[in-house]
Amino acid sequence: MIRALRSREHGPSTGGDGVAVPTKRHRTVSMRRYTYLLMLAPGLAMYLAFIIWPFANTIRFSFYNWSGLGPMTDFVGFGNYTSLFDRAPINRQFSNALSNTAQVFLLSTVLSTFVGLIFALILSRKIPGSRFYQALYFMPNTLSVIVVGFLWNLLLNPQFGAVNSVLRGVGLDNLARPWLGDPNFALPSIVAVSAWANMGFPILIFLSAILGIPSDLVEAARLDGASELRVIATIVIPLLWPTLITLIVLNFIASVNTFELVFAMEGSEGGPFFATDVLGTLFYRMAFGGVGGVYAGTGLGGAAALATLMLVIVLPVSVFVIVFQRKVSHEY
Amino acid sequence: MSTKSERDGRSSRRHLSPGRLASGGLTQIVLIGYAALVVYPLLIMVASSLKTTGEIFANPLSLVPATVRLGNYVDAWNQANFGTYFRNSIFVCVVSVLLILFFGSMAAYVLARFSFPGNRAIYLLFLAGFMIPIRLAIVPLFIMMRDLHLLDTLWSLIVVYIAGGMPFTVFLLVSFFRHIPRDLEDAAVLDGAGPFQVYYQIMLPLVRPALATVGLFQFLNVWNDFFFPLIFIRSENLRTVPLGVSAFFGEYTNDWALMFAALSISIMPVIIIYLLASKQFIAGLTSGAIK
Repeated sequence: MIRALRSREHGPSTGGDGVAVPTKRHRTVSMRRYTYLLMLAPGLAMYLAFIIWPFANTIRFSFYNWSGLGPMTDFVGFGNYTSLFDRAPINRQFSNALSNTAQVFLLSTVLSTFVGLIFALILSRKIPGSRFYQALYFMPNTLSVIVVGFLWNLLLNPQFGAVNSVLRGVGLDNLARPWLGDPNFALPSIVAVSAWANMGFPILIFLSAILGIPSDLVEAARLDGASELRVIATIVIPLLWPTLITLIVLNFIASVNTFELVFAMEGSEGGPFFATDVLGTLFYRMAFGGVGGVYAGTGLGGAAALATLMLVIVLPVSVFVIVFQRKVSHEY
Repeated sequence: MSTKSERDGRSSRRHLSPGRLASGGLTQIVLIGYAALVVYPLLIMVASSLKTTGEIFANPLSLVPATVRLGNYVDAWNQANFGTYFRNSIFVCVVSVLLILFFGSMAAYVLARFSFPGNRAIYLLFLAGFMIPIRLAIVPLFIMMRDLHLLDTLWSLIVVYIAGGMPFTVFLLVSFFRHIPRDLEDAAVLDGAGPFQVYYQIMLPLVRPALATVGLFQFLNVWNDFFFPLIFIRSENLRTVPLGVSAFFGEYTNDWALMFAALSISIMPVIIIYLLASKQFIAGLTSGAIK
């Protein structure tokens, strides 16, 4: 708006570049008016062609029975969706993967988001070396998830792994176990590794939110004689709600996305006995892993239906977080 | 706002209290403990990469190998073709990140500075891709790559990384461009500079720190990605580092020394970058990404 006004002051002959000013006097000027659209084009075109269009196609594919070859003509309506719920053995695997994914979310919320909050609270107290710890804790975030998975695969090995060696070394022999081979411990182990890899992120975000709290609020409470814990419970935590909710939502999206760690540590079938099979690994098998096998018949349409369902799970949450963020950032 | 004397009074009280001293000690123990939990596995990885497999099995926790065997690295590098994987990863990273920065900053500049019908809609469309996992679109992407004859080429990866890198880049850079005062551009426009000149000669240098942050994050994203190479790449000589590590683990299951060496090789570049630029990372994350 301001720009348009300003350029009107300059007159049409000078304010011609990309400004919404009607100037038809010189043809070259009016051509140049639109060159800025050419600058938008490459990024937008790539994004439309390789992200938006495939997403639209995922939804379209999900209504067809299609092997990936030849014309896509066999329209089956919601058939691919209903077979996720009522067609053996897919339905059992789907509900199993759904429940495992939910467990990943709940466990990692506690293990990474809440524990991260505690570390952030500790680090916010002007502790010597606070910056060093921050940087160190964040380091595993930069590593490739698949490599982290393979590393911990070795460290959690029942016979030769470092974890069991440590446990035996300190006399906790009966705690040593085949972490990744025991259906009861496999999923929690993977979530623990994921927390090891990701903890730095919630710590960092919480910490910057805590440091952003106006210090006079906290000081005033302290002067009134409130204990450290009371200050945290009554002032800091309530002000951290928006950050907490955002981080839980981001963790939710990441949980639905879980794939690499399971793939590296338990294989694409989410062993042992599907104990760690999540939506990500099931989707991978349906799309690329089971040609002619268990999944014969679901084809790419089945995989697309699962992807669309996952999108339906994630999208409202993403939209919520973006809208919520904007609201919060306006408040501050 | 608290006065200085108040603050001093409080901090001296904090030092005097024995309870505070005890809790200070406790917090240091917790912090050091978690630091050890972060670092120790990585140290074990490096130490094990210098041992023989026999020594790893006999003594998995020691951080000092009996004799340092750099040969594991030579073996992993040669047998597993890590030289090729590195070349592929570097090529994909450099091309993708440069084009992400170029396309993304141009688009962000236009969205931040020009008003035209659809501006807001396009911005929101980019924003929508911000938190949607793009891998959910992998089935149609796979078909597209097949039909474009890009399957099993490094270009299939580059194309997806550029497209997938747009939302974050545009989102971050739009907010940076919006904070730049308009006077500089206006002067240039008066001098007859076109939009591209203004963008390239005036705006881009001003957002260099933001570009560095975006570049760093995108580099890591691309370098670390495993999913798209897993789907798109079949040929051995086109594997990227993460895919190479994965294939390596399938082949050398019993040679732990080699596996640790392979892991160390693949992790090293990222650790070095992080050691050099950890401040930039942390500043970038806390200022841009979440606000």
